[in-house]
Amino acid sequence: MIEFKNVSKIYSTGTEAVHGATFVIEKGDFAFLVGQSGSGKSTLIKLILKEEEPTEGTIIINGKDTTFLKPSRVPYLRRSMGVVFQDFRLLPDKTVYDNVAFAMNIVKAAPRHIRRQVPMVLSLVGLSSKAKAYPEELSGGEQQRVALARALVNNPSMIIADEPTGNLDPETAWEIMTLLNEINLRGTTVVIATHAKDIVDAMKKRVIEIEKGIIIRDDRKGGYSK
Amino acid sequence: MKYNVVGYFLSEGFRNVFKNKKSTFSCLGVMCATMLMFGLFFAIGQNITHMVENIEDSQAIRVFANIDTSEEDLERMKAEIESIEGVEPGIKLVTPEEAYNEMKERLGDKQDAMDILEPSIFSYSYVITLSDLDLNDSIQEQIMKLDNIKRITSSNQTIRALSVIGKWVRIVTGVLLAILIVISIFIISNTIKLTVHARRKEISIMKYVGATNSFVRTPFVIEGVIIGIMSSVISLLFVGGAYNWCANRMRLSETIQTIGVNILSFNELFAQIIMVYVILGVGIGIIGSAISMRKYLDV
Repeated sequence: MIEFKNVSKIYSTGTEAVHGATFVIEKGDFAFLVGQSGSGKSTLIKLILKEEEPTEGTIIINGKDTTFLKPSRVPYLRRSMGVVFQDFRLLPDKTVYDNVAFAMNIVKAAPRHIRRQVPMVLSLVGLSSKAKAYPEELSGGEQQRVALARALVNNPSMIIADEPTGNLDPETAWEIMTLLNEINLRGTTVVIATHAKDIVDAMKKRVIEIEKGIIIRDDRKGGYSK
Repeated sequence: MKYNVVGYFLSEGFRNVFKNKKSTFSCLGVMCATMLMFGLFFAIGQNITHMVENIEDSQAIRVFANIDTSEEDLERMKAEIESIEGVEPGIKLVTPEEAYNEMKERLGDKQDAMDILEPSIFSYSYVITLSDLDLNDSIQEQIMKLDNIKRITSSNQTIRALSVIGKWVRIVTGVLLAILIVISIFIISNTIKLTVHARRKEISIMKYVGATNSFVRTPFVIEGVIIGIMSSVISLLFVGGAYNWCANRMRLSETIQTIGVNILSFNELFAQIIMVYVILGVGIGIIGSAISMRKYLDV
């Protein structure tokens, strides 16, 4: 569960990226964050990931107030989330398997658990046959699937995706969104910041629209625009 | 900590060392230079200290009696010398025959030259050990006032000169070591910074996935430690080889043999040098890599 209570963020340059944001994303929700470039979507994602500190307000993640979370506790907060980026952020010198196993190494998982879990997640995203391939040998859609597998491998309670389809063609973008929907149906909360109008309109999920840092719309089954 | 995490850290550390060969070589070069310099000055310093100790242990003062001094006078002289404050009791008498043989031994293979001389040309002498080297001058003055004293020889000046040289060698070693350590840390931290910069993407991914700072830092610290240990081993081999070569040549030198200086073997220096090398190598490696990481952990 993610709860924002009157959250504002002013950067050191004086830019107010978010102003008085208040919303709740319940466990198991699927929500799109939409808005134009520079509207504040990415800042909201950064605030959830604790990459940025709010200037004002309270952020509660999974029932815990993270506003004054010590820097040493941030890694443990992030382990409850899987993160997916527009540019995939895969390690080029590691195979698909190692890119996913890498996330499990970080949480100090037992080798036996890694050997069982990684193939399972790769099968979920449809990449079992590519386990030994390197990222440069994969298409954009396949690379994003690896990123998704990496985000999922530690069984996070939520997936946070920042423009996950931004670098993909429409057909591949649909594949990724379908996959995220399937993940959501298994009970994982999914929050996606996106520009993909067609997809948002077609999926009929919750839409939180932000404009110039202010949340102007929060529709249960909305489209990209009113 | 689970086994696989230790394995992960070690494999990542070794991977970094061999993947970034250029930076590894530059780090090795700087650290070896630091350690070789230290090894050189340390070996010289230790030998000087050893010489000073040897000379201090041997005859601090030797008092020669006049040739015609009677046994009675020699006994009296002994009692008077032993009553002087700062003189260790039980001073040893050296007879003319003993002095003659001593000289023969010192001449080594040229001892035939002694055949034309008689032991009687040597005086009786006393070897005096001092409890406090600082009293040397005043003791000599008091002895000179006694009857039948021909002359006094003392290794005091040699000891003082060696002590001063030893002190300066130690100061120079310390200062040089401090400067070289700072330079090494600077260069190592910059070299590792390049590695870290090249892997900043990987580090940011690690941070997003929930890696703690210590988890991110450890492979880089291990890289520094591996380079430190490699430098220690290389330096030890170089210093050991060079030292043994020099020491063997010096031991064969006639001058060194005549003076009677005992050059330390490398085995006697080994324990201290290896300890300092390991501390230096590991310490510089840890500090250098830790400094270089700070900026990149703030994600």
